[in-house]
Amino acid sequence: MSTLSVQDPPGRLRGEPSRGRSPRRWPGWLTGWAFVFPAVALFAVMGVYTIGSGLALSFAKWNGFTPTWNWVGIQNYLDLLYADPVLAPELRRAGWNTLQVMIAVPLLTVVISLPLAVALNSIRRLRGLLRSVYFLPYVTTGVAIYFAWRYVLEPDGAINTLLRSLGLGTLSQPQGFLGNPSTALPTLILILVWSSVPVATLLYLSGLQAVDPHLFEAAQIDGAAPRHVLRRVIWPLMRPITAAIVLLGVRDTLHGFQIFLVMTRGGPGGHTDVLALMAYRLSFFKGLAQTLGLASALGWLLFAGAVLLTLVNARMLRRVQ
Amino acid sequence: MIGRRVVRAVVFAALFVYALISLYPFLWMVSGAFKGRTEILEGGFLPRAFTLDTLTQTWGRLHFFDYFLNSLKVTGLTVIGVLVVYSLASYAFAVLDFPGRRILFWFFVALLFVPGITMLLPVVILEKQLGVLGTHIGLVLPFVNGTAPLTVLLLTNAYGSVPREMHEAARSDGASEPRIFWSVYLPLARPAHVTVAVLTAVPTWNEYVLTRVSISDPSRYTLPLGLESLISSEVPRYNEVMAASLIIVIPVIVLFLFLQRYFVNGLVGAIKG
Repeated sequence: MSTLSVQDPPGRLRGEPSRGRSPRRWPGWLTGWAFVFPAVALFAVMGVYTIGSGLALSFAKWNGFTPTWNWVGIQNYLDLLYADPVLAPELRRAGWNTLQVMIAVPLLTVVISLPLAVALNSIRRLRGLLRSVYFLPYVTTGVAIYFAWRYVLEPDGAINTLLRSLGLGTLSQPQGFLGNPSTALPTLILILVWSSVPVATLLYLSGLQAVDPHLFEAAQIDGAAPRHVLRRVIWPLMRPITAAIVLLGVRDTLHGFQIFLVMTRGGPGGHTDVLALMAYRLSFFKGLAQTLGLASALGWLLFAGAVLLTLVNARMLRRVQ
Repeated sequence: MIGRRVVRAVVFAALFVYALISLYPFLWMVSGAFKGRTEILEGGFLPRAFTLDTLTQTWGRLHFFDYFLNSLKVTGLTVIGVLVVYSLASYAFAVLDFPGRRILFWFFVALLFVPGITMLLPVVILEKQLGVLGTHIGLVLPFVNGTAPLTVLLLTNAYGSVPREMHEAARSDGASEPRIFWSVYLPLARPAHVTVAVLTAVPTWNEYVLTRVSISDPSRYTLPLGLESLISSEVPRYNEVMAASLIIVIPVIVLFLFLQRYFVNGLVGAIKG
């Protein structure tokens, strides 16, 4: 140790390091590991172990109660994809619904929030207040707000009443918007758009505020119509933000199913069933049937889908730029 | 000139219409929470017989005060856990050098791509084996782990933007790493910690899926489960449901109004980063 302290820089020698915590006795890499240890320990148990055991379970049949798993290889995946006469059609229908949500929600979100952000950016007065109001649906997303939507969408709820009083009675839904098989999924899509517009608008707004305002003025002085400014100037500038919004939207649709669970449980008659909700049902609502392996397999199919879509999206968006 | 005025009027009208759409379910939530049991069945927006009974009954007789405390406990513990565990880890990722630093960092971030539903079942099975299923700790542990990707990204960015010279100056004054972390980096990155706290608190407060499948003892219910128990009766009394929803939503709105810029910075930072 004494030879080492000779090489110490003069500054280090002056500041008497306390004996136990001398940097010499406590090497740098150990400090780093000590700092990350709690996070890594939690991650090892709640992340790595659970991911591993979930993957293993997807190759077995189990009902959660018997002491052993029955290994079946890739049978669970085959059953889900085509082999099982009940599960495969169920998966296809849920997959089709998921696809519709995955395309419609990001698209409508962009179509609504970009003009909204441009409008918001063009005013001074009330901008702060309106921004807060627009943001509320994001902060409160959850069971409470879904129940409020259920309340206004009831057969004799506020939305039907509103439509009738506007003379649009033909659009009202006597069984409620969630009770009618043909309106249930579009209604949920609109509510999902309603809750994803806040973040998208916020992102566009922050993007627009970073753009030099003279650019818009110059375009206006040159006589460009507002819609041309939107299409030729703003849209290309906002492309990275649009990409982020689409990526987030696609990811959220594959991951999220709370709204489907709370508002319709997949009904009426499976018309609002989505893949994640199907996995949830297979996990927790099949009693003693051996469906846990199937649930895990479906979870992994979703994971694979999410990764694949992210890669495809990222590549496509890069090519467009 | 007239053309410009018309454009402005149209812009304002559109903005107000969307503000109304944004507020629509909240307006009905508030109106429903102040209606009595019979009036809720009628259509009007403004309560004719304005009553506080629905709120006080929901708060008291329907145990929503207990659920509120449970939610507060779970959310509080999760926020504390997230701040402690990931501020330490992010400090190491941003400032310290150790073998495995890069790969560990990307491991945490990659968790972002694993859908919650893929993790849900194995987490429940593991917690059953460990005997923590159905307890509040059994919720807090996966919640903390679930915030890892976003939190590590935000905090590593925040610590990374502290000038390197500050670390070297403190180092040459003989300060140890824990000391530098505590007295230099934590105070300098305070806004990022507030951002992480609010971005953790709000989804935890609203969490329903994992809570629903793990908690079965009604005395441990959080607010979303309490709310659900109101609607699972055959004919839901929507005035009580709306009162309970209001109890859930109000703390979040208050938090948001006070800490708005932290939400905004956090979301913009997380997505651009």
